[in-house]
Amino acid sequence: MTTDLDPGKIAQLLTLSTQQLDQSTLSALHNARQSALNRQAVRAPAFAFITDRGTLSLIPNSIQQWVFAGLLIVMLVIGTSYWQHVQEQQISDIDVAILTDDLPIEVFVD
Amino acid sequence: MRSSALGVFLLLCLTSTFASAASVSWRALSPAQREALAPLVQQWDTLPEIQRTRLLETARHYPHLTHEQKERFHNRLAKWSKLTPEQRDAAREKYRAFNKIPADKREQVKQMVREQEARKAAAASGVPAIPQSR
Repeated sequence: MTTDLDPGKIAQLLTLSTQQLDQSTLSALHNARQSALNRQAVRAPAFAFITDRGTLSLIPNSIQQWVFAGLLIVMLVIGTSYWQHVQEQQISDIDVAILTDDLPIEVFVD
Repeated sequence: MRSSALGVFLLLCLTSTFASAASVSWRALSPAQREALAPLVQQWDTLPEIQRTRLLETARHYPHLTHEQKERFHNRLAKWSKLTPEQRDAAREKYRAFNKIPADKREQVKQMVREQEARKAAAASGVPAIPQSR
């Protein structure tokens, strides 16, 4: 025998069943839920983004992630050094131009 | 443990990136650097680190300058190094701005300055200035 049950009917039956549970079972379920929540809180990383898809840890936890983090740091350092070098070269070019221009230095200095 | 190691590594990387070049005394300079920076022989060891690093970078251009440019470079170097960092920054900004104006206007300014310089020199020597036409 098959009986068609719509989702609303199922939810109603489940609520009814929950209401029929005795107090000790409800208490045990409540305790189990609380301890599961506590365990989850302990496992949550200190530095993490919480998104709707879950927790995104900022601390690498696998070799691949550590390698990626290392590469990212190396690229950051190289990029910063290069930028600094270019800036210094531009400053030095202008300094030489001021020091050798046919206009006297006083024109540019207050 | 891992996160503290990562922190130490990051700190080392940043320190090495932002640290200026090691202190270079006058005696440690190469002959070419000494020749370029000769007017600063007395004050070199007292100059701030960043200024020394920039002057060394500037000195790299010296061998490629013409004789006239080398003379100007030497004549202006002592005065340039005595300016405050803010004055040097302001001078660089002015130079950048000056180079953005059209070439003909720039030449007009240069001509005016040359005439002014000639008048000053003439006044100093007592001989009337001859107008320049360049």
